[in-house]
Amino acid sequence: MRSSVSYILSTNTSEPNMSHPDYDQISHDHAALLILIKHIGSQLKPKIFTKFYDRIIKLNDVKITDSSGQVRTIFVRYIKEHPVENNDWGDFQTHRRLIGLISIGKYDSQVELNEVCRVHESLKVKYNSTLYDSRCILFGPLKEIDSPVDRSSGSEESDTKQECNIEKFVSPSNFKTRALYYDEVAPCADLENQIVEFINALFWVLESKRLERSREKLERVSLLFAPFEKKDFIGLDMESRQNKKRCTGRMTKHLGDLCLQAGLIAESLQYYTNAVEILKSVNDWLWLGGAYEGLSAASALVLYPNLQRNESFHRIGSLPEGSPKKAALETISVTTVSKKSISNLLAPDEISKRYREAIIHYSKYQNAGIVETEASFKAARIAVEQNHALQAASFLQNVVYINLTLSEQEKIQRFETLAHIYMQIGFHRKAAFCLRLAATRYVSPQNPNPNWSKCYLLMLQSLSGHKLLLDPIEMLEADQGWPTLQIQILQDLIIAAKRAGYSALATRHMTFLLQTMGPYLNTEQKELAIQLQSLSVQCEGSPVPLVLESGIVVPPANLTDIPLCTSFVLKDLKPHLRPRTIDKEKKDTGPFLFTPIHFGSLDRNKPKTDSKMDFLWVENEVSEITVKLVNPLPFEFKVSNMRLLTSGVVFESVPETVILAPDMAATVSLSGWARESGELEITGYSTHALGVKSNCRLKYMKNQFPAYYKVNVIPSLPILEVATSLPQSASFSNFHDDSIVTSASLSLYHGESTQCTITLKNTSQIPIEMLEVSINTILEASLQNEIFQVDQEEVSLILPLLPEQSASFTVKLYGAANFLALNSAVSPSIPFELNSGGFNSLTTSLPGTSSFSRVNSSIRSSHSGQSSLVGGLTSFVQSATSSSSIEAQLKIRYSGGPGFGSQHCRISTVFFVVDLIPSIHVTNWDVLPAEKNDQFYLVLDVENLTTQEMELQYAECKRMIIEGQESCRVPVPVERCPLSKLSDFYEEPSQSKKLAEINRICSEHISNLVKLNWILNATDSCGIASVKGITLNSRMLDIVRMSPLEWEVKINGDIFGTEEDLVCEAGDCMELQMSVANSLETSLKDLTLAIQFYQDYDNGTLNYRMDTRLAISGSTKKLLSLLEPKNMANHRCNVVFFSPGIYKVDIQCYTPDNNATTSLVSAGHVWRFTPPISIQVK
Amino acid sequence: MAVCAAIVGKDNSPKYFCCINPDEELSYQYKVLSSLDIIEERLNPANKNASESKELFLGHLYSLETCKLYGYVTNTKIKLIIVVNAMNLTLKDNDIRSMFQKIHSEYADMVSNPFYIPGEPITSKLFDSTIKGIITGTV
Repeated sequence: MRSSVSYILSTNTSEPNMSHPDYDQISHDHAALLILIKHIGSQLKPKIFTKFYDRIIKLNDVKITDSSGQVRTIFVRYIKEHPVENNDWGDFQTHRRLIGLISIGKYDSQVELNEVCRVHESLKVKYNSTLYDSRCILFGPLKEIDSPVDRSSGSEESDTKQECNIEKFVSPSNFKTRALYYDEVAPCADLENQIVEFINALFWVLESKRLERSREKLERVSLLFAPFEKKDFIGLDMESRQNKKRCTGRMTKHLGDLCLQAGLIAESLQYYTNAVEILKSVNDWLWLGGAYEGLSAASALVLYPNLQRNESFHRIGSLPEGSPKKAALETISVTTVSKKSISNLLAPDEISKRYREAIIHYSKYQNAGIVETEASFKAARIAVEQNHALQAASFLQNVVYINLTLSEQEKIQRFETLAHIYMQIGFHRKAAFCLRLAATRYVSPQNPNPNWSKCYLLMLQSLSGHKLLLDPIEMLEADQGWPTLQIQILQDLIIAAKRAGYSALATRHMTFLLQTMGPYLNTEQKELAIQLQSLSVQCEGSPVPLVLESGIVVPPANLTDIPLCTSFVLKDLKPHLRPRTIDKEKKDTGPFLFTPIHFGSLDRNKPKTDSKMDFLWVENEVSEITVKLVNPLPFEFKVSNMRLLTSGVVFESVPETVILAPDMAATVSLSGWARESGELEITGYSTHALGVKSNCRLKYMKNQFPAYYKVNVIPSLPILEVATSLPQSASFSNFHDDSIVTSASLSLYHGESTQCTITLKNTSQIPIEMLEVSINTILEASLQNEIFQVDQEEVSLILPLLPEQSASFTVKLYGAANFLALNSAVSPSIPFELNSGGFNSLTTSLPGTSSFSRVNSSIRSSHSGQSSLVGGLTSFVQSATSSSSIEAQLKIRYSGGPGFGSQHCRISTVFFVVDLIPSIHVTNWDVLPAEKNDQFYLVLDVENLTTQEMELQYAECKRMIIEGQESCRVPVPVERCPLSKLSDFYEEPSQSKKLAEINRICSEHISNLVKLNWILNATDSCGIASVKGITLNSRMLDIVRMSPLEWEVKINGDIFGTEEDLVCEAGDCMELQMSVANSLETSLKDLTLAIQFYQDYDNGTLNYRMDTRLAISGSTKKLLSLLEPKNMANHRCNVVFFSPGIYKVDIQCYTPDNNATTSLVSAGHVWRFTPPISIQVK
Repeated sequence: MAVCAAIVGKDNSPKYFCCINPDEELSYQYKVLSSLDIIEERLNPANKNASESKELFLGHLYSLETCKLYGYVTNTKIKLIIVVNAMNLTLKDNDIRSMFQKIHSEYADMVSNPFYIPGEPITSKLFDSTIKGIITGTV
């Protein structure tokens, strides 16, 4: 709006113009009487002055009834300072004249009273040209006796007042002012009345002046002019028509001003309108502008009676026009009615237009700069009131262009006022910009007395406009604004704070800058960190809010990202110290184990935070957290006093110090002790870096950590130290149990046993009240129990183990192994004829007439699939011939003290490595009938797998030496398996109980009886080998177990003994008498008793064709349909041998093939009388 | 031609800033930042006349001693601001308008880039050189 012709009309004069702009003016001030309230004398305290000032300024509009009975509203404006020069513009705008003076002073003595009076008088003189009246409020010395009546009546005359109030003090004779005497502590009830009376007085003077002026003949009025215009009219023809008109116009405008001040708005509007017309015609721009402004001011007074100075409300940007506030104002307005009636009233839009015109006109005169500035502010305020932010902004923008020679202080004030109005219209950025300019003015080189403190305060206010919040947390969350500018502004702020001597604030702001602007700082700016270090030397930063004198709180700034934490891991305790819960029996949770319904399903979708640790910490024991820190700065710095921040239970943290190399990661472990049991929350850590103490909370860190980590702390538990008597093993295992505290290794020959002593020491201060020892292997339980044995009784005797005490228990170890060869695996269900591979080392000389016994190889080996007893070994100990290694864990669970109460314990594990070295091995076995019927021979091929000489004791008093790596065959006499063990199978025949079961029982029977004691003579190791798991085929079984049939064979009437040799002559008749007794509990059916003669050529050929060699009288077969238990069946026959030779008789009893009644007495089962009878015929 | 161009996001945070003279960048940033107040006010739905118009070009925002600022707001409230030297009288409103339209289409292309994360500051060198070309009038 400032036209390019702005300076054309203005004369460049050096004449003093109005040089003290009043930025606070509003358009309503055009209607106000200007009264100066002055603090005089040195006695009065500023506080008291302010108190009375505040009371007086409340009287800013007074209703006065004029001579015609009309009520007029008179506005009053009180100011504290008024430069005399401003009065010079009083002709141009009458409201600039100071017409009233109230001075407030205090005295204690006559001298002081005189001085106060003198000052008042001198003030009167100063403003003499415009002053209408004055008052002087005086506070006398405190009196003992109050006389409120006197005082409240006020003083009509100074003399009378003094008489009754303070007799001693008399105001000087030249003091002609009406003085008001008060006691500064008293309520001074009539003060307001006195002031109103004073205003009344002023009004009447004004009114009289107005009337006087209005009665003047318009043609005859003298020319009014603004201070700088005086020169312009020199030499001009004052009598010209043009000039006459100019005089009239100016006077009309002047009358408008007076009417406005006198409360006659309608009249003033009329005058202004007339003035505009007249002045327009004579191109008197300055006064035309004044008339426009007056017109606007008067209209604004009608339209916006409530327009207030320093409006404190901030316009909300989104508030629609005609907001509730405005609406309410207009409805309550009394003037609404009169609005329409007043002619020449400007519409709201017009006001701005008129102001704009006025400003344009003013701008044509350089000397009217102040007026223009003030008009701009007034217009802006009206625009604010009208809610026209853009208009206000353009008025304010104009202010900046007005070229005024102002003092620095006034420039600052101008910017502050601008900022204030910008703030009102919601232009926060612009406001911030102005505040910043104001701030820089405070310390500009032109400013003779720079004030860094004020500069700092203004800078601080400008932060919000740049979207800088003081709280770094909110700041980071908001994440807005212009980083480049923000960095600059913060740096300026820091400089201001530093220069102002607020070193704590400087440190704080620098911390803030580094914390919030970290991502935007380039490497050069990272040097700021060094600045911070030097700043913090003066004042160490600490995480406490700083409160400024103005009440602004600067929240703490924490350097959470210097150093940058990249990982934050809570460490579990060392495995053997980890508390575990003591298993309890499961509680009955009712029939519902699972429900798909999630109660509180609202947070179902929330991502689960892994903030709750699934491990436990123990009270009074060191807990650790590993923090990985990265130094983002290009230089090395030290982070000291790092501690954990926790909440929940009491936690004692150990301070740590770390030096971080540039751009390098370092791992720090922060530790401490929980001093209570319960839930512990770890929320972050505190650091002392770059001279700043920071509380780095996890939730505010750049890396997304959960807000806290929670860990349960359980009551304290004892600690046990474990030692073994065996040497430690060289290597640890594949077992992934980390609670291993020690290890023990040993090697055992198969069958050897030894002991290991485990020593326990309680190193804590808590007695151990619970102790459980268990062995863990991957072996089957039975085998494991065979190898490892712990005497639980012995363990339980240890308790309680008091602090610093030791105890021990033993573990028995046995080198269990399968001593039997595994090399051929055959299922017993396969007929063993097929099993007659080239195994012929133990050729039997068993004669047999049946097809069953035709096999040469009857030795058979064990097979793996059959015996469950062997199963464990076979799966693990692959072969007895090779050495193997067994790994086992001895778990010691212990607890005590308060931790035991909370059902927690610890586990220490001893790791055992047992190397099993083969000792002896049974490669083959067979059974042979012994000489005695109740015994049999177990023939074993025993191989010494060691390299040493071995002494083998295989039966009582039977020893044998086996050289290393050699084998030998030993017969072990064994009792036959009594039928009582097997009776079940005879009595309850069922298919399910198979041969395998019988086999198992027999095998057990044998292994119980056969113990092969071996001694290695060189090393004195000894051990016992068993034939556990031996398998037998059915032929063997028949030998092993007692026969269910008891045989009795008589030859020629004599009972036949096995050891006897029968000799007879050819042709002799030999009588064979046999009886079969059933020794079972059940009866046998359909038995066939058969006698068969044959010759064994001892070359594997058996000749059964005996027809030509002998003759039998009597039947060779007898059918026994039923043989009751304990019954006996007899048979008799005679035989005659024709030719000499060796004959053998096979007597057998068998069941027919089709009879499948029992499993044991199964179809085709044959019982033989063993050994076969051998007869030598001569 | 123009001395400075800026792209400001919906939340009034800078997306892109380019200045012919890098030394003056800071002062131009202040100026552009201050102009946002005016743009905001213009876009304020309370000022009906402003929101009614479909015109993206806001025209002249305000002028300072040395420069004039022009604004342009896309439908997604992305603000484009061009600073023109006040001494430059050859540049007419229509030139500015076409300059804005070019920047706008460049910006649209930029946002279409699948590797650009919307809302992030634009760092593309190609984009930078194109915008510089537009404001200096070489494109």
